[in-house]
Amino acid sequence: MLREMAVAAISTSQLTKDYGAGRGLFDLGLHVSQQEVFGYLGPNGSGKTTTIRLLMGMIRPTNGSAHVFGLDCVRDAMEVKRKVGYLPGDIPQFGSLRGDEVVAYLGGMRGGVDRRHVRAIAERFDLDLNRRFREYSSGNKQKLGILLAFMHRPELLILDEPTSGLDPLNQQEFYELLRETRAGGATIFLSSHVLSEVEHVCDRVGILRRGRLVKVAELGELTRIRVHHVEVEFAPGEEVPAERLRAAEGVEDLSVEGQRLRCTVHGNFDALLEAISGSRVIDLVSTEPSLEEFFLSFFGEPKPKALPS
Amino acid sequence: MIGIVFGLRLGRWGVVGFSLAGLLLVFAQTAGFYQVAGTTPGARAAFGSAMATLAAQLVALFPPPLRPDTAGGYAEFRGFHPLAVLFAVWALASATGFARGDEERGVVEAALATGTSRIALIASRTVGFALAVTVASAAAAAGFLIGVASGHETAAVQGVVEEAALLAVIGVACYTLSLFVAQMAGPRLATAAAGTLLLALFLDNSLSRAMSSLTAWRWLSPFRYYDLSQPLPPGGHFDARAFLVLIGISVLATAAAAAAFMRRDLGASLIRLPSIPHRPSYDVTAAPWWGVAVARGLYERRLGLLAWSAGMAVMALSFVALTKTIVQVLLSIPSLLPYLSIFVHQQLYPAVLGYTWFNVAELMFAAFAITYVARWSAEDSDGRLEIFLSQPLSRAGIVLERMAVLAAGAVLIAAVSGAVLFYASHQQGIDLNAQRLTAASLMLVPFALVFAGAGSLLAAWNPRAAVGLLGAFAFASYLDTELGTIYKFPVWLLDLSAFKLFGAPLLNGVNGRNLALMLLLALAGIGSSILAIQRRDVGA
Repeated sequence: MLREMAVAAISTSQLTKDYGAGRGLFDLGLHVSQQEVFGYLGPNGSGKTTTIRLLMGMIRPTNGSAHVFGLDCVRDAMEVKRKVGYLPGDIPQFGSLRGDEVVAYLGGMRGGVDRRHVRAIAERFDLDLNRRFREYSSGNKQKLGILLAFMHRPELLILDEPTSGLDPLNQQEFYELLRETRAGGATIFLSSHVLSEVEHVCDRVGILRRGRLVKVAELGELTRIRVHHVEVEFAPGEEVPAERLRAAEGVEDLSVEGQRLRCTVHGNFDALLEAISGSRVIDLVSTEPSLEEFFLSFFGEPKPKALPS
Repeated sequence: MIGIVFGLRLGRWGVVGFSLAGLLLVFAQTAGFYQVAGTTPGARAAFGSAMATLAAQLVALFPPPLRPDTAGGYAEFRGFHPLAVLFAVWALASATGFARGDEERGVVEAALATGTSRIALIASRTVGFALAVTVASAAAAAGFLIGVASGHETAAVQGVVEEAALLAVIGVACYTLSLFVAQMAGPRLATAAAGTLLLALFLDNSLSRAMSSLTAWRWLSPFRYYDLSQPLPPGGHFDARAFLVLIGISVLATAAAAAAFMRRDLGASLIRLPSIPHRPSYDVTAAPWWGVAVARGLYERRLGLLAWSAGMAVMALSFVALTKTIVQVLLSIPSLLPYLSIFVHQQLYPAVLGYTWFNVAELMFAAFAITYVARWSAEDSDGRLEIFLSQPLSRAGIVLERMAVLAAGAVLIAAVSGAVLFYASHQQGIDLNAQRLTAASLMLVPFALVFAGAGSLLAAWNPRAAVGLLGAFAFASYLDTELGTIYKFPVWLLDLSAFKLFGAPLLNGVNGRNLALMLLLALAGIGSSILAIQRRDVGA
């Protein structure tokens, strides 16, 4: 038992998939411990899905190796897949099959699916399994994908952008399901391009950029390096505490227009809240930056052309 | 204009493939004419007579040829008439692919979101197909001209242009009729409904040549108006009124399709069956077949298998009914009697039935295999294969399961059509050897497996190109048999064609060597596809 616990849920060494022209995944060295929730963060085209497909044995590495619970992802693909629940980035089309038939189909391929567990998840997400797949909304298709990944109580969940298409209520339900699954002993590896999502649920976060793992951070570290755009509106006649805010730790790019103040906050909000305490604030909006802006801030890279000036 | 270009862009491989098919088929038949018809008037007259005899056996499929002793008459019969059927299938696939496939993929929604009206969308795609089929028809006409040039003869340009125009307009008529039906039926049924209509219209016309009871109804069929012209041979004619009727059918069907499209919701059909009261459920079905490897695949395809079985059974009934008529025609040709008594050993009915029915059945089983390969390719491109492979199944296991499902489906269809053929023949007083009929019907299974094996390899190697390449393979196999004797192909090359290997099992029994070769070809396809899929990246 102790020996089993020591094996990493996921480990990769110099894992490379080179599609040419600088596209792909390069020299990935990753270690995800058992019962860890690991967030895999990166903008579109950064190599998240390529990593996941390499772990699932869908594609073969150009170089290096990947292991799941010590099993080689290419050589022992069958054994790996017994232990893994997989949610692909795009839910495939099942046409006129009903939801329950899709579950039975894939459950029949896998074997050993607990029907009560399936029912519990379907009820939880209010997913009507008596409807045809074709009639499902994109959110319901995503719920079905989640159900298919969780239906056999896998030891490891590999989830590619799992909350895309889910409404906020179902996103919260999903986060709760993740916490319970992790508490039940499972390991979770989820990819996302939304910073706040991985903050919700992950213990650690790997940040991928242009096919390379550039940072693995604990949740606390991520909080310290996070950035928010903040807009504060003060009550009419109230003095705007601009000087106090300029002096506040982590507050940058401050501008004032009438009673409205805009700034960027690095790390937590403690200093900002302290600076505006005592002032009458009628509105405060904090916006999470896009992942590109986060990279800009974090790595000090030049602003990509696609970003608004 | 941009809609027309977009439609052509989406169907570019169809244009290329069918243009090539038209060019090659017509060229090969025309050039082949000079190889087999002889050079003297007497030799050509004898050849024309032999062709007329052959045509009498195929009267249920194609109209009797005019002047088969000339390159024009021969090419029209052996090249252009089969192409009309091929172009009808292309029209069906393109129309339902646009009306339902593109709609499911969101292409139609995206086009309408740009401000394009529904009428404009229907019109642009119809014009796009009309251009595509005109290009392919022109390629076929070019094939004829090149073939005639190879025989150091010349052809009347007007006749060639009229033949190409006829081919194009029958294609457009089939496209617009399919487009109209696709608006009526739901996504699951659109192709089947449109295909059934086209088949019914085709049979209405073709069977009317042998069954007088149908002559009163053949005006309904666009194929009737195609038949009324035979412009290619010397002394041929072009019926301008029939040509205009085909254009009229196309315009009316397009207008009807546009009107129907305007009245229905996207993703829905115009005719909606009353829905069964819906009861929400959170439970998984307890049906046991989902847990059994081949049973789940058969269950998933149950409606398709039912339709194939029913369709083949109806065709078997029709061919039995036709056999009597055809045999009477053959017996009325005194010069044929010695040939019939020598070569078919008094087994005229089994010989004719074996020739007509099993020729069609071979084509249908090849088409059956191609539909399965199309599905495997779709599974690959839309992500189903990825999610199947995320279950603890090996890639080889998936290939084998696919083949087993196809084989089981083929056995079912062969058994149903064989049983119907036997029963209907018995009712008509045609006594077939039950053992030979069983063996001949079951021979269709390895025949389908040859195409499935090749398709499996193509789907594993390049799923996007698999259907087109398999279609080309089937076409080449057919040509191999058709032209092998004319051009004196080596035996090993002929043996690569499943059409040739199938032989005439109802008349001569199953040839063990040919059966073994077919199984070998199928196994080679399966084995190599397992190797190919092991090495390929899935989902990338």
